[in-house]
Amino acid sequence: MISSTLIAEFASFLPENKIKVNDSADHPLGNGGKVTVYPSSLDEIVNVVKYANDHDRKVTVVGSGTKRGFGGLDKPADILLSLENYSGIIEHTVGNMTLTVKAGTVFNQLQHYLKDHKQKVSLDAAWPDHATIGGIIAANDSSAKRLGYGSARDVVIGLKTVYPDGSIIRSGGKVVKNVAGYDMNKLFVGSMGTLGVIAEITMKLRPLPKDETLVLLTVENDDLETIRSFVVSLLDTQLEPTSLELLAPSLSEKLTQIPKYTLAMSFEDVESSVAYQEDFLKKLKPAQTTMNVLKQENMEHFWNRFYTIGPNGAVSNTGDETVASIKVSVKNLDVLEVIKESNRLRDSHNLDVEAHGGLGHGICQIHVKGAKSDVVSAIHHLRGVAEKYGGHAVIKHLPYKLRQEINVWGENPPYFYLLDGIKKQIDPKRTLNNTRFVGGI
Amino acid sequence: MVKKLKTNDKHINKLARLLTGPNAILYHKEDLLAYDCDGFTIHKHLPRAVVFPKNTEEVAKIVQYCAKHQLPFLARGAGTGLSGGATPLNNEVIISLVRMKKLISLDVENRRAVVEPGYINLKLTNSISDKGYYYAPDPSSQYACTIGGNVAENAGGAHCLKYGVTTNHILGLEVVLPNGEIIHLGNDGIPDTPGYDLIGLITGSEGTLGIVTKITVRILKNPEEKQTVLAYFDDVEDGSRAVSDIISTGIVPAAMEMMDKTAIEAVEAAAFPVGHPKDIEAVLLIEVDGISAGIEEQITDILNVCTSRNVREVKVAESEQERARWWANRKTGFGAMGAISPDYLVQDGVIPRSRLPEVLSRINQISEESGLRIANIFHAGDGNLHPLVLFDANKPGDTEKALEAGSACLKVCADVGGTITGEHGVGIEKIEEMRFVFSDSEINAQTEVREVFNPDNLLNAGKLFPSPGRCGEVKKAMKAVIS
Repeated sequence: MISSTLIAEFASFLPENKIKVNDSADHPLGNGGKVTVYPSSLDEIVNVVKYANDHDRKVTVVGSGTKRGFGGLDKPADILLSLENYSGIIEHTVGNMTLTVKAGTVFNQLQHYLKDHKQKVSLDAAWPDHATIGGIIAANDSSAKRLGYGSARDVVIGLKTVYPDGSIIRSGGKVVKNVAGYDMNKLFVGSMGTLGVIAEITMKLRPLPKDETLVLLTVENDDLETIRSFVVSLLDTQLEPTSLELLAPSLSEKLTQIPKYTLAMSFEDVESSVAYQEDFLKKLKPAQTTMNVLKQENMEHFWNRFYTIGPNGAVSNTGDETVASIKVSVKNLDVLEVIKESNRLRDSHNLDVEAHGGLGHGICQIHVKGAKSDVVSAIHHLRGVAEKYGGHAVIKHLPYKLRQEINVWGENPPYFYLLDGIKKQIDPKRTLNNTRFVGGI
Repeated sequence: MVKKLKTNDKHINKLARLLTGPNAILYHKEDLLAYDCDGFTIHKHLPRAVVFPKNTEEVAKIVQYCAKHQLPFLARGAGTGLSGGATPLNNEVIISLVRMKKLISLDVENRRAVVEPGYINLKLTNSISDKGYYYAPDPSSQYACTIGGNVAENAGGAHCLKYGVTTNHILGLEVVLPNGEIIHLGNDGIPDTPGYDLIGLITGSEGTLGIVTKITVRILKNPEEKQTVLAYFDDVEDGSRAVSDIISTGIVPAAMEMMDKTAIEAVEAAAFPVGHPKDIEAVLLIEVDGISAGIEEQITDILNVCTSRNVREVKVAESEQERARWWANRKTGFGAMGAISPDYLVQDGVIPRSRLPEVLSRINQISEESGLRIANIFHAGDGNLHPLVLFDANKPGDTEKALEAGSACLKVCADVGGTITGEHGVGIEKIEEMRFVFSDSEINAQTEVREVFNPDNLLNAGKLFPSPGRCGEVKKAMKAVIS
């Protein structure tokens, strides 16, 4: 029995109460392990990883599991390495606006703590009350406010990563400007845990804005051309929106009770500037559109719901229906076409569709639910749409079995040998998160 | 019919045949002298030849030839780099990209532009400003430096406090790999290409992973308004506390620059004096930009902070001309050292902002111990210090003393939790100082990545990484031979 062997062999470096034997390692979303280990120190993480690598065991790394349905083709790993208990703030230097945290820290716990210091991590991500900062960074998750905030690669200034051989590799540092050596942070951000276990993260912070508002612009009769020309003229003004997110009608209905295409524009600045931008938008408002302004609780309520519309891999889907989540990246304004096509899937494929996309950053998130064959067909259709516009589609959430049929990352790029070469240099035995990434890396 | 060149070097003759365009290769010693170093002039080495390809295909052909014949090679832009990244340590064939200098396309609606690597940084902003747009990274050498060079070095600038450095503005790259293969990363600037972030890795790799031949950059809308404040402090510590206080009030200034007394003496003696008081200890140049309606409140906050930190005098620029004069005074700060010293060595440490007063006093000590004056110019907002060690290369021993003092300044930066370079790169200059911030295994982790791209290490060898990394490689190679 592999589990009892593991517990015996772990005894020298991990107390038994930090090991859980899983009766069934199978999970509809895959990415499980025969035993789950809960290290609470860097040493324990190093020991687990090194043990696994030395003994040819496979390791899957998990935070709170919100992205469990994202990639991964392998059967259950020998060890599920949970970072849930490796959480908390290591160093917050208020004056430098930098923060070092353990990877298992839940995103909103961080934000709540920082709020007392009038600071924040300028990232927005799905399921912020559940998702860990390590998971967000490893999966390069971002959301509507990426336009104003940037993404994980812009926020991370330093990492402490445990390599498969157990060495601790620091990259970057604690300062906001740093060109000493290669920018190795970039390699680990978005690497889906396939190169090393991201254990500690240093980020640059931003001050909390003094004021914030959300302006919703709704168009009649699916009139996306009006939205297009409105956005083009808005982008040519001096306004500084942090989000410019187009919501498909069904998502708009869920969030605002209005089942029409809606543009969600947020502004963060000092009060006078926010008020000015709000007024400016009112003047720019095209005919036959409706504009609503949400503030404080109403605005927060909107965003809280917005961040939890997609599937959460930590919560089992008990229904018969298949749930999938597709991320499509295209040029900024081509988002209009992608969202329009996504909306059509409701009728053409008889699916529940919740879709949105950023007209200032080019990333669309489309969540679909329905019969398996319809979901599969919709995924192929959306990938075709993405490719038509020169972009790409990645399936961020899909049941394990379907991942065997559908390549969630799409075709390998022509330079795949570089990606594979990097993996082989760092993790030659493919110990960590095997097959979780592009081309089965 | 290509005329045979006046050299017996068969490789030079063959390389010449791969190029089109007039005078596309230099190989006479007197022509090569201009290419024996970049802006870091302490080490000089002659290249084997300098070639001037005019498109990606020519770059690829040259690289393929070099790879096939195991000739060391490297890429060069305008040669303004300050750490020796373009210095041909191994008698390289230099691939100069200055003839690839076109703005290929501009897509205002999607806020991006595609340029060739030899395109000059400032030219981009100048050519789109009529439409109300600009390119944010603004190194002080922006009137001369190329965007290809900026990508290699991950260049910064005065305004990166709010807008980030080069890496935050690169959306796509076309790269010629060291084997001559052409790859495209971030097609059309579309974000999040599946796979490891090779754009992020190559940016700042100092020309050791590939040669960038096309660059898709993000362009930004000009802010509605800019306001610039000049503040004089009798005490450097007060000035540096003001920097932290301003950011703590919730303002992210577009730029926050500081100069100390010695630096002020130099800029006032040079081409763009603005009348800074001679007896002042520190001057702070602060710029805020954004929506006009919000600027006044930020200026009021800044003035209040300066007052609370005992500012002697503080003023807001009254016109664009005044603002431009203040910036010219600051941006020409390095060159201004020539007005008060025969030679100077510029360093590039970064520290956590809050440690500024302590670091400055330690730099003062280094100055006293070495007997050399050190002027300080810094991007204070992001903690990026440029200590300028003043010396006279004609005085025996002075150059060595200056190098030692510069290195000691970097050690101080590393010791307080900072780093050895914020924007100039490691090059050959700071190779040894890499040990101040990285362990051997961390350096090996980086050379292992280089091996994937540049397995024969023909491209820009001998840069960035100190010998422990190389020792590791040798050991590995020996192991491979034995096994």
